[in-house]
Amino acid sequence: MHNNKKILPFIYLLPTGILLTIFMVIPIIYTFYLSFFDWNLIAPTKDFVGMRNYIEVFTDPVNQKVLMNTFFYIILLLVLNFIVPYVISLIVKFFIKRMQGAYKIIFFIPSLFSLVVGAMIFSWLLNPVSGPVAFLFRESGFVLPNWTNSGGLAIVVICLITNWKVFGYNFILLLTGLGSIPKNIVDATTIDRIPKWRMIWNIVLPMNKSIAIYVLILTIVQGLQYVFTPINVITTGGPYYGSSNVLYHTYLNAFVLYKTGNASALAITTFLIFLVLLYLEIRFVEGRSRYE
Amino acid sequence: MKTKYFKQFLALVGLALMAVIFAGCSSTSKTSANAVTHITYWHVNAQTQGGATVDELVKEFNKTHKNIKVTAKYNPNMYKGLMQNLQSAQASGKVPDVTQVGWAYDNYFSSNFKYMTSTDAAKKFDGNDKFITDHFTTKTLSFAKDANKKLVGLPYSLSTPVLFVNKDLLKQYNIDVKSLDTWEGVQKAAKSINEQSGKYGLYIQEPGDTWAQQAIMLSNGADIQKNGKAAFASENGEGAYKLYQEMVTDKTALHTPWAQGMDSFVKGDVAMAFTTIAQASHIKKGASFNASAIIAPHFEGHKTTVPVGGSMLAITAQDATQQKAAWEFEKFMFKTSSSVTWSKGTGYLPPTKDALESKEFKDHVSENPMLVPAVNTLDKAIPWTSFPKNGLQAEQAMIDARDKILSGSDISSTLKSAQEKINAQQ
Repeated sequence: MHNNKKILPFIYLLPTGILLTIFMVIPIIYTFYLSFFDWNLIAPTKDFVGMRNYIEVFTDPVNQKVLMNTFFYIILLLVLNFIVPYVISLIVKFFIKRMQGAYKIIFFIPSLFSLVVGAMIFSWLLNPVSGPVAFLFRESGFVLPNWTNSGGLAIVVICLITNWKVFGYNFILLLTGLGSIPKNIVDATTIDRIPKWRMIWNIVLPMNKSIAIYVLILTIVQGLQYVFTPINVITTGGPYYGSSNVLYHTYLNAFVLYKTGNASALAITTFLIFLVLLYLEIRFVEGRSRYE
Repeated sequence: MKTKYFKQFLALVGLALMAVIFAGCSSTSKTSANAVTHITYWHVNAQTQGGATVDELVKEFNKTHKNIKVTAKYNPNMYKGLMQNLQSAQASGKVPDVTQVGWAYDNYFSSNFKYMTSTDAAKKFDGNDKFITDHFTTKTLSFAKDANKKLVGLPYSLSTPVLFVNKDLLKQYNIDVKSLDTWEGVQKAAKSINEQSGKYGLYIQEPGDTWAQQAIMLSNGADIQKNGKAAFASENGEGAYKLYQEMVTDKTALHTPWAQGMDSFVKGDVAMAFTTIAQASHIKKGASFNASAIIAPHFEGHKTTVPVGGSMLAITAQDATQQKAAWEFEKFMFKTSSSVTWSKGTGYLPPTKDALESKEFKDHVSENPMLVPAVNTLDKAIPWTSFPKNGLQAEQAMIDARDKILSGSDISSTLKSAQEKINAQQ
């Protein structure tokens, strides 16, 4: 009996453990190994190049540009996919009494569509020369800027497309979190005549922290993966890498140019940056919430 | 002791699970007893791009060849996607038998994959290479040769760039179609249309390659490569890009990704579009104006020269019986009737001499006059530049140069640095 109890949990974990090892741990180790070589994915020989690939990640101007774009993406995604849905879910929860269910459904519908379809529809809608939006702009005396030629604007449009897709999902998660806050605490603040903004700032936000942190991490990690699709469908990273990010650039290096070494170095660097971000997040954000 | 047994147990279970997982990956197809050879054909034709024609041809082949069974497999994402799949196939040891290879992947394919050259196949299975010399012109065959002059495959889909024009707009703003023979004339016409209507005069395709841009440079007498080294940063190459950049800067030419650019042309917001003939059916279906096509323009004092587009069929089968079956299948695909069916279904030009001259194809052309300039451009076509080493990275360097120049960078230094980058890798 005693023996069984010790072994059983491991056996239960084994299937997941094996899958994780095969599909996550081994590939990451192999990627790390490949990042020291110059290889085109199929040639029988791999040339060892030491740290060259890593040096290139930081010295190559294109890589630098792509890294900067990635931070721009993260900031925009945070605003569009985290702060805006959070504000709106707070408004729906505490300022609007009716139609909560309807908002949930309306906001959620786009997340059912495939992002490829969404990207194609938006690419057509926002075509700067002959799309319907450009037409409306022209009719009202404005000119829709040719966003496909400007890296910054292309990034904004791509983030808006992912926002269309992700918004509803994040909104529902946050709203559900808000719903789980005990009603008696909220009611107590009304009786004590505490202003709503103070109630939200001092009670609701801290109590909803765990959900918010989950959505925050999701926004950054998943958001950067989501933008891959519209980048691939609409701009393919252009103009001149202006709308590319590290994930798309890794893909371009690995599977379009077959520069496996460079791509692996870029992937490992990205992995490390995210690891540091997560560590900081756990250390400072989650750690503190325990004392509150 | 307990922990030791536990570890052994864990290792055993782990191994067993691994075995189960990997067993699923390696199901092999074997030739069945009644001597039917199974081969697979990898292509890139989605249902909207001739996929139905592929199925039709394969079905007919299987019907007429009792001892061979071909299975067609569609690979998404065009030639790039197919190459990616071929790599994983090579890694797992289960490769297709006949494969469509895009011209741009010519050298990459020949130096990294195992294949049988068409010449070897013809000599081994027919005893001579008469089939090849009978059906293809020397020019057409030159498209499919790699840097070592080996015939990697047989040319299958051929395309050339043409200038599509919106005849209604040209008429409205008094542009003579004859003046569009030269790029200088195109620039003038675009300016005139832009000044009178505010519309864009021209769109030049900007996909993930510089095929169209190479055509413009070639038609100004520039070389893309010379003896395996990049050579486009010449006076003529710069001249070609100068006109292109001027047009983008003064907004007479539209600079935007391919799908959006074509959309704008089809909607009538752009008067001319320089793109592949494969777009003809899309334009015919979508445009509400009178659209037509003319031969690719050249610069004054130079002749029209364009790189050929499309793909070849390569034999990737490893086993002798399957190679033989693959060769049979290829020969069927190059029969006149098959080639013409293929051309009708996809919009590509047929690769063989006899198909190009057949009545069936000529009837098809007279029903689709937009094909005429494309057919006439074939003898002005040269192989798509494929550098011997790191060809895909070389193409990317040219794409980067294009995008930089169109965003306003200095032409001379941008082309030079792209050329140096490519040559440093050769």
